[in-house]
Amino acid sequence: MERETGSRREAVRQAAAQWVVRLDDASCSDADRAAFEVWRGESFENEAAYEREAAAWTRLERVRVYRPADVRIDADLLAPVRRPKLKSLSGSSWARGLAACAMAGLVAAGALSFGTSTAYATAIGERRVVVLSDNSRIELNTDSKVVVRYRKGVREVRLMRGEAVFEAARDARPFVVKAADAVLSADGVSEMAVRLRSDGAIVTVKKGAVELDPTPNRQQAELRLKAGVAAIYDSAGSRSREISDSEIDRSLAWRQGAIALNGQSLEQAVAEFNRYNRQQIRIADPSISSLRLAGYFQTTEPQSFVSAVTHAFSVRAAEGQDGTIRLSRRS
Amino acid sequence: MTHEDEHRRAWFRREILPLEPDLLAYARQFCRDGQSDPEDLVHETFARAIACKTWREISNPGAFATRILRNCALDALRRRKVLTITAVADFERIEPIDEAPGVHAVLESREELQALADAIAELPTQCRRVFTMRKVYSLSPDEIAVRLGLSVSTVEKHLAKGLRYCSDKLGRRIGRRNKVDEGRSWSARRDQDAKR
Repeated sequence: MERETGSRREAVRQAAAQWVVRLDDASCSDADRAAFEVWRGESFENEAAYEREAAAWTRLERVRVYRPADVRIDADLLAPVRRPKLKSLSGSSWARGLAACAMAGLVAAGALSFGTSTAYATAIGERRVVVLSDNSRIELNTDSKVVVRYRKGVREVRLMRGEAVFEAARDARPFVVKAADAVLSADGVSEMAVRLRSDGAIVTVKKGAVELDPTPNRQQAELRLKAGVAAIYDSAGSRSREISDSEIDRSLAWRQGAIALNGQSLEQAVAEFNRYNRQQIRIADPSISSLRLAGYFQTTEPQSFVSAVTHAFSVRAAEGQDGTIRLSRRS
Repeated sequence: MTHEDEHRRAWFRREILPLEPDLLAYARQFCRDGQSDPEDLVHETFARAIACKTWREISNPGAFATRILRNCALDALRRRKVLTITAVADFERIEPIDEAPGVHAVLESREELQALADAIAELPTQCRRVFTMRKVYSLSPDEIAVRLGLSVSTVEKHLAKGLRYCSDKLGRRIGRRNKVDEGRSWSARRDQDAKR
């Protein structure tokens, strides 16, 4: 008897999985969609099973980050033995390194003294890992753009928009990040996060050390930033301070697709969510903007955040015609 | 009404689906005599939960879902031709959970990414290849069919099979709660909210 129910459950889930696969295909016909609606309408069992399979399908989107920067498609990429661990993507095979090299427009053996530049960008809500020819890595956050220009004497990356983490690999050439007029030179193997602000940028050094030259055109003292130090620079000047590991982890939670809040105001938290989502949140009532929040949320789930806020505080959420979520005080 | 249906499904996705590993652990307590399948209980719980039209009034989805699961277990017990002593004893022993079993926002961590890749790696070779081309390289089923010399319907079968394997694997994932410390969690506040 029990076995029968088990196979029935499997049959429903199987059908649900087939619909998920079919509906996600761009060539899915209107007739298919109509047939799906009929099937889903047959029972809540079908409806729930579909949501379950669809949720797993969406979660699996994340494996796209394993895709190397080269163009070749490798169906065996996730095969049990040779699958690269995300952390050691940089340690992948020679062949891939060479392919990435070709992609970046570089010629091996330094035959070319001026390489072309390659731009990498992400859309809102997107994240991307780029592995460069020298095994340095760039992880782009939402709505960000970098231009990579590797030349004979220098590895140069310019942060044009948004935020990125740069992991400089060992190489004879210096690794330099340009962001908002300043020049950041990695001292050996290092890892730094750079986020552009309306004026200037904020740099966090996670590993190694970085020389910060806020105004390359003027003679001014350079700032040496060690691991565990964050610096803010803008037209008014620059200042640095030590920050704890957990603070660094929180500021880089986006690498895990999350936003980590630890006492930020509702206003700051909302601004943070709005970076990652087309669906925007607005604070309609200034009296709630200074509420302090803590918590860990998925960047792409503003609904969960809003639901947590309305549960924890006397705050009401209403969705407008254009999809904007408006937060106001609950009376 | 379609708009309202979409809201109801979004609620189910957001609040109920992430509870699957917790619900499965809870369901196992009712199945110690091997006469019921905990996965069936969770499956039925999901079907009953998504049917809830008054979802907006539910302040504690964890308590709501475990209550449904308990009822499902009770119904399964009533349907049985032979009642085992342990099943009845278990039922009386297991208290309903009154607080939310876990934090609702699933932590999307590097470990989760690893778990996803592991699940794909465990698929049979051809299935894994098709799945990798679809999910890692975002190729369409048509393109995959051409590249691998398969029919589109075979590609779709591989994808559905791979998805079934991965969704079960994700649903059984435990230890999620250990990854969440108080600083990252809303549960304290939410629980207070539920106990009012």
